[in-house]
Amino acid sequence: MQHEVFANTEDFGGPDIVGATGHISQPGVDAPYANYELGKPFDEMFSRDGQVRATYVAIDSRVSSLPLEELNRRQQAVEKSFLHQGITFTVYNANQATERIIPTDLLPRIVTAREWDRIERGLTQRIHALNLFLRDIYTDGRALKDGVVPRSMIYGSKHYRREMRGIQVPHGAYVNICGSDLIRNEAGDFVVLEDNLRVPSGVSYMLANRDVAHRAFPAVFRSMGVRPIEHYPLELLATLRSLTPFHEDVSIAILTPGVFNSAYFEHAFLARQMGVALVEGRDLLVNDNVVYTRTTSGLKRIDVIYRRIDDDFMDPLIFRNDSALGVPGLFNAYRAGNVMIANALGTGVADDKAVYAYVPRLIRYYLAEEPILENVETFLCREEKMLQHVLGNLDKLVVKAVGESGGYGMLIGPHASTNEREDFAEKIRANPENYIAQPTIQLSTAPTFVGNGIEARHVDLRPFILHGAETKLVPGALTRVALKRGSLVVNSSQGGGSKDTWVLSQ
Amino acid sequence: MFYSIRHVTRFRYSGPVRESVMELRMQPRSEGPQTLRSFQISTNPRAQLYAYTDHLGNAVYHFNLLREHEELRIEAQATVEIGQMPAWPDALDPLEWSRYNDFNLSDDHFDMLEDSWFARMSPELESFMKIADLQKPVGDPLSALKALQCGIYGSFEYEPGVTEVNSPIDVVLERRRGVCQDFAHIMTAMARRWGIPCRYVSGYLYHKGARDRSAANATHAWAEAYLPSLGWVGFDPTNNIMAGERHIRAAVGRDYADVPPTRGTYKGDANSELSIAVLLEPTQAPVRHEDFLKVARPMVRPTASMPERLYHQQQQQQQQQQQQQQQQQ
Amino acid sequence: MLSRVAASLYWMSRYIERAEHTARLIAVKLESMVEQTPEDAAVSWARVTQALTGVKTAPLHLDAFAITRYLAFDRDNENSLITSLSLARDNARQVREALSNEVWENLNRLYLRLAPVTMDSIWVHTPARLFRDLLEEMHVLEGVTYSTLSHGEGWYFLELGRYIERVQQLGRLLNIHFTAAQTGNGPKYFDWLVLLKFCTAFEPYTKKYTASIRPQKIAEFLLFDSEFPHSICFSVDRMTEALARVAPGAPQARRAAVERLAGRLKAAVDLGQVDELMSGGVAAFIADITKQCDQIHKALYSSYITYSAETVL
Repeated sequence: MQHEVFANTEDFGGPDIVGATGHISQPGVDAPYANYELGKPFDEMFSRDGQVRATYVAIDSRVSSLPLEELNRRQQAVEKSFLHQGITFTVYNANQATERIIPTDLLPRIVTAREWDRIERGLTQRIHALNLFLRDIYTDGRALKDGVVPRSMIYGSKHYRREMRGIQVPHGAYVNICGSDLIRNEAGDFVVLEDNLRVPSGVSYMLANRDVAHRAFPAVFRSMGVRPIEHYPLELLATLRSLTPFHEDVSIAILTPGVFNSAYFEHAFLARQMGVALVEGRDLLVNDNVVYTRTTSGLKRIDVIYRRIDDDFMDPLIFRNDSALGVPGLFNAYRAGNVMIANALGTGVADDKAVYAYVPRLIRYYLAEEPILENVETFLCREEKMLQHVLGNLDKLVVKAVGESGGYGMLIGPHASTNEREDFAEKIRANPENYIAQPTIQLSTAPTFVGNGIEARHVDLRPFILHGAETKLVPGALTRVALKRGSLVVNSSQGGGSKDTWVLSQ
Repeated sequence: MFYSIRHVTRFRYSGPVRESVMELRMQPRSEGPQTLRSFQISTNPRAQLYAYTDHLGNAVYHFNLLREHEELRIEAQATVEIGQMPAWPDALDPLEWSRYNDFNLSDDHFDMLEDSWFARMSPELESFMKIADLQKPVGDPLSALKALQCGIYGSFEYEPGVTEVNSPIDVVLERRRGVCQDFAHIMTAMARRWGIPCRYVSGYLYHKGARDRSAANATHAWAEAYLPSLGWVGFDPTNNIMAGERHIRAAVGRDYADVPPTRGTYKGDANSELSIAVLLEPTQAPVRHEDFLKVARPMVRPTASMPERLYHQQQQQQQQQQQQQQQQQ
Repeated sequence: MLSRVAASLYWMSRYIERAEHTARLIAVKLESMVEQTPEDAAVSWARVTQALTGVKTAPLHLDAFAITRYLAFDRDNENSLITSLSLARDNARQVREALSNEVWENLNRLYLRLAPVTMDSIWVHTPARLFRDLLEEMHVLEGVTYSTLSHGEGWYFLELGRYIERVQQLGRLLNIHFTAAQTGNGPKYFDWLVLLKFCTAFEPYTKKYTASIRPQKIAEFLLFDSEFPHSICFSVDRMTEALARVAPGAPQARRAAVERLAGRLKAAVDLGQVDELMSGGVAAFIADITKQCDQIHKALYSSYITYSAETVL
């Protein structure tokens, strides 16, 4: 039997031409857009009257000129390439471990220069305010004394780390790496849905996706003046370096939970791209308040740790004592200033759902500026007027318990029965501080290749913000896609995929 | 009144262990009527000791031992002076309740109002409060706290060995017996429920007479509640007394989890056995007059060998957490 | 280099070597069985099984299909081809940052390619073909490793894994054949020929000794030829060279233990005389060499991987 030599997996590009057809597609009519539905949400590619937006004309003309089979072939080649590169996460069910790739879509999502400018300024402003807030609650507590944020929200948060009180962090930068989730509302404006201030992931997909779209549509890519993002690892390295006063021989390591973590690919990827060590807790030890890695030659000092494990697991001496992932004594080395850790510990208190609602006020309080990027409208049940509004509109709102994540303790009003709503109303009345409510959120839709054509799918946008001695955004983002028709869930664990994001230079 | 405290902790391992890391919270505090006159701490095998002051003002010593060892001994020696205790009034005026306001309270107080790991509300505690008729405070806060202390004293037997290392207070509530740590947690949780900032104190009690239920020559624990007119006031529900000049305060926290006398980890495939000896005696004059108010000076000195008789297997109250990490590879 | 990374590289390489050895033995055996009587083939399969699993089996109840399935595809067999490749890949994944993209992708593809293959799908045509293809790809992997990785400490740990494993595997194979030669029912002419093929040694051997196949010459070649990559001597030379290059900054006290063992092993091989061994001493000699390799393996761990961390660089 013949065993074929592997197909050349790099071959998902092809000769590419720009604007050769002069054709402009109509959604719901022309192939491959025959099943493209425009609804209430903002669509990235088509205007409300079905016109292709100017930014998507080049892509449209290229895509329309390709036979469906060719799109399919490229899509499959991309997936095979991801599999071979090991860009996978492992799903465990029963006793079986299955490796899955995070599906990536061929078609890029395009962000204009003007939109990006607002995102960049907005997120920069936001991370400044959030870092000032963190410094405040771990030192003076000015915002608490002034009543800007209720005390019980901080002291009652399981992410508030009392151990951080009084500890000085370099540049006052608690959050060094942030990934904020933005969505586009019906009016087409970007708003912030969530801040991820602990260990945000996904930046490796941003970079891997660029590789894909870049090769699938090279000529379109070149013609559009897409801003480069390949320097992200370099910027990350610079940010990490800026945390120490030393300039030479700074020893940096990425601390990973290990190969079974779903983001392990990313940890290894960043370590390789930056040329730093990838370590697990068991590779490190603390001696005389200094952190060392165990090398074949002996113990070698580590100056900066980019940690990708949660606070709770960092140091079994201080936090969860059953943690086998952490390093006993690490926190005391940190306290002594002998090692820098990014992100700082205790940042999770500021990306809590309840604190989220206060971010616009925090921006005004610390920076005396108006927020450039709005939040999704959020009602705090702890405030009487908002509570009444929430209780009166339970059928229209999504109510979330602030301490929980992953959909636990949540009511999706429009989908709930009257009984469920009444039960939930009781819970809210009993403990209003514990709940916030938001209108049902509509994510914008973007063209996504689904096998037999191109359809509209909901997307969000996660740019990555670096904050050390200075604040930087690489002009790009991870666009997550809800691959199921109509679905709003973009998480990779629940059928989400991703696509490249092209930020245009003008 | 001067006290000399000798606090010896010994860990014995069933096999060689290495990379021990440990934090110690056993230096008596120096504030209010209590003044620390001298403090020395040493380990065997010898280790370089480091120290810091935690956010609650407790002195924390820590060290690590890389090399293999099968036994680890920590010896702390303190001399403490307890001055004139304030004379607490029998009661306060009921207006004291209204003094729990933003003007009188600071962050340190607010942090002692929330549930913590051990001192937390639970259905069991809820029903105990109902049965003991302690759901609502009666009278002014001071009187109410005294009633609370008395209620706990009357409802629980003192019995070592019933509760374990990490027993939640629910176990104590169900069995109606426990040790000082448990009673302090129950009192703390209930006082907080009433809106009174309350914290856990780890320390020592000098025993006098047979009235004290807690064990002599051991560490002790009680609760401190905040009364805006008086400041932090100590209540000892184990012995149904206000904390006074026999109580020596070592560390304060939200509960035991914040202030165990020792907390550590080691690597190696071995179990550990813990022995503790405390010797607490009144003494005439301070041994040394250096001012140890500030925790700044790590100290290492050879440990003199201890007479074996001093080791008492007193594990019932010293609930310390050891984590065993399986040796990799 | 991190100790854990060094250990993973070392094991990754050992498993790749083990997989290659397994694939080679299966391929050669499948190809050669057509020229043997069923009885001879059964005896020969039993030797292969013993060489690959360390378990001596009775030749009677085995058929080539079942043995091949067991040796190649049985994930419960901790020495099977698929298990070895899977472990090699697991180790590689743990040290992605220490490998080039090319090395990882080649190894990953190799595994992903083998993982879904079933016996039925290969047995209908030329079963050996799959194993020949795999061998070829493993040679590509070796070449990719050689030319895309820096020949620094990591690379020398790969070398160590490869050659320690090679000595162990080769030793076991030779041991079985030369032990059997002492009995009445020893290897026949054809079996000696196949032994050379098991070690990819047929052509290099004939170049040196002509086509006259004699056990003494085979032993001399596979034990002491310093130029042939699948000889004990060659492997030991590479091993000692690699040992001198790893853990360059380690304190002399820790290096000494490893270097002393390496020196002893090299001396044993350099001074070995095939004439003295032929009267039954080959097996004892090999047993000594493999035991020494095992000691080196342990010393490698205690000196560079799990050493007591008392000293700081």
